[in-house]
Amino acid sequence: MVNDKNSQKIVDIIQNYARKHSLFILAYGTGCGAIEVPPTMTSRYDAERFGIRGAATPRQADVLLITGYLATKTLKRVIRTYEQMQSPKYIIGFGSCTINGGMYWDSYNTIKRLDMYIPVDVYINGCMPRPESVIAGFIKLQKLIQAGKADGWDRYQKNLDFYRKNQKKIIKNWQMPDYNW
Amino acid sequence: MNIWKLLLTGSVTTIIAFIVGMTYMGLNRKITARIQNRVGPPIYQNFLDVLKLWSKKTAVHHGFMQHVAPLWMIAMSITTLMFIPILNNGSKFFVNLTFDGDLILLLYLMAIGSLGMALGAGQTGNPNSAIGVTRGLTQMVGFEIPWVMALVAMMIQYKTTSIAGIMDIQHQTGTWMMFSSPFAFLAALLVLPGMFRYSPFDIVGAPAELASGPISEFGGKYLATMMTSGSIFAFVKLTLYVDLFMGGASNLGILLVKTFTLYMFPVLWGVTSPRFRTEQSVKFFWGWPLVFGLLGLIQAAF
Amino acid sequence: MNEQQLLNILIEHFGDKISGSVKRKKRVEIHTSTKVIEDFLQYIKNVLGYIHFVQLSCVDWIEENEFELVYIVWSPKDKITILTKVRVPRENAVAPNTDYIWRHINTFEREIREMFGIEFEGLVGAREFILEDWDDKPPMRRDFDTLEYSQATYFDRPGREDAQDVRETITKRSGEEIPEFAKKYSR
Repeated sequence: MVNDKNSQKIVDIIQNYARKHSLFILAYGTGCGAIEVPPTMTSRYDAERFGIRGAATPRQADVLLITGYLATKTLKRVIRTYEQMQSPKYIIGFGSCTINGGMYWDSYNTIKRLDMYIPVDVYINGCMPRPESVIAGFIKLQKLIQAGKADGWDRYQKNLDFYRKNQKKIIKNWQMPDYNW
Repeated sequence: MNIWKLLLTGSVTTIIAFIVGMTYMGLNRKITARIQNRVGPPIYQNFLDVLKLWSKKTAVHHGFMQHVAPLWMIAMSITTLMFIPILNNGSKFFVNLTFDGDLILLLYLMAIGSLGMALGAGQTGNPNSAIGVTRGLTQMVGFEIPWVMALVAMMIQYKTTSIAGIMDIQHQTGTWMMFSSPFAFLAALLVLPGMFRYSPFDIVGAPAELASGPISEFGGKYLATMMTSGSIFAFVKLTLYVDLFMGGASNLGILLVKTFTLYMFPVLWGVTSPRFRTEQSVKFFWGWPLVFGLLGLIQAAF
Repeated sequence: MNEQQLLNILIEHFGDKISGSVKRKKRVEIHTSTKVIEDFLQYIKNVLGYIHFVQLSCVDWIEENEFELVYIVWSPKDKITILTKVRVPRENAVAPNTDYIWRHINTFEREIREMFGIEFEGLVGAREFILEDWDDKPPMRRDFDTLEYSQATYFDRPGREDAQDVRETITKRSGEEIPEFAKKYSR
């Protein structure tokens, strides 16, 4: 049953309001930027007043934080975790290593552009970004969700061949389950 | 009795239990945050969480039993809710299915909800869920014994097995059970954080322990159903305690005041205490609460 | 004992199989060969009391066609560090396995085997350690060009070509010069 345009708009407004005010972050510290996440969540730069709290498993989480550089070993696990999460799901890339390689621009083991491998919604600048910047990144994500533009999960589903081609180029031993959405 | 009237009063009771339970959980988060010197989430935060979880577009499950487990839990919560008299002024609106002997029935019904979650968690095949379920059931063995002793002590002392009967006795004698059978009240009060699964007994569902134990494979709509059933069950427990020990309530406002005062005890103890291991919590429950239960039984026999 | 006495004891015990010098206060440097290193380490551990093994690292002397293994040992009693340097040829690099003396040498040897390609005889755990599915030459060798590999395998983000090199900017600012052998690592 598909709604008509006007009632779909109202449903979208209510659902996006609920989605943006309760974000569950997966407690997975991918890189060296994960040290900036506990100060953001505790008493001084309280992130729980925006409704952000930690979730333990990918099945319960909405947001995956890629905090820093990604070695090819970690990329395989991150892809597997991302495909276990339930849509709609968002990815935030922390730090300059996800944007253009950062400090490891000539390394043999870390990737340089994150959005060739998994779809990214918001990038946060810095090395590592301070908690104020992290909260500003979350506010930007909230604005994108309210406007209906945070559709990384949709892009992944539509362009799966493109992402798979790039992923298989660097992950040579490909033994992963099929994406079962 | 009239089935339509029953459906109407049942749905109104359920909706009130859901709203009150969710607000109390939101107040828990707010009070915890203020004690930790920060501004917490707004009080209606839990409603937004449930609404967001219902808006997920996919529902991943590993089999029929996992699909059914949250429904089992919420069915048990609502069934338990139906047997408790919410108000004691004889109002036709809130007395749903109470009968003489419902106290014994409640002792069994309150344990069946966790059984549904255990079966669902077992179907997923996640080893974290299996260990979390064994821990939860071990803790339940711990707190069931003083709880049953307290209830049986009251049943012997006042020679009645219905909650409405106990409320009537409090009404007639004018004193609350809190004062006329104090040992049973102390035993039941010490067991209350264990039933809520707050600190220090939250080793079962905490996110840092075993990736949150039994609920680790449930997401989206299943998690929303579980949170709803948890909030209804919280209201059930609080109302049961108020009915048994604090004289019931004659209108909804007094009920809210009494349940909130009682709710502050597990919240404030939980904010400031660390977590027990499973064997430590069972040792605690078989310590002082058991002694108070025995004293209550002795007092009831004489 | 101080550094010169230690050096005299070692030369007296081992004769001309080792050669060494006192580099500075609290540091003694010894050069040996792969046949002597096991006896040497056992001697300084059991007899002289140098019981704390700090690190085993490797230097790639590509101009002289050799690897150099550096064993760093420290004594909590004398508080002197002994650096023991052993040269290994670059083709068919084989070195003796010393992890029966200190057990944590096992981790260092596994890492050096993966990153430089030196085989240690009888090493337990000689398999893939840190890099996953790596099929190129060992990456820490100096003839492996990591920048070229990185640009070929991973995608660059356009717009970074006019970024300035950090070292060139700093040397220009302080009026110095980059030495010859390091020039090829500039952008």
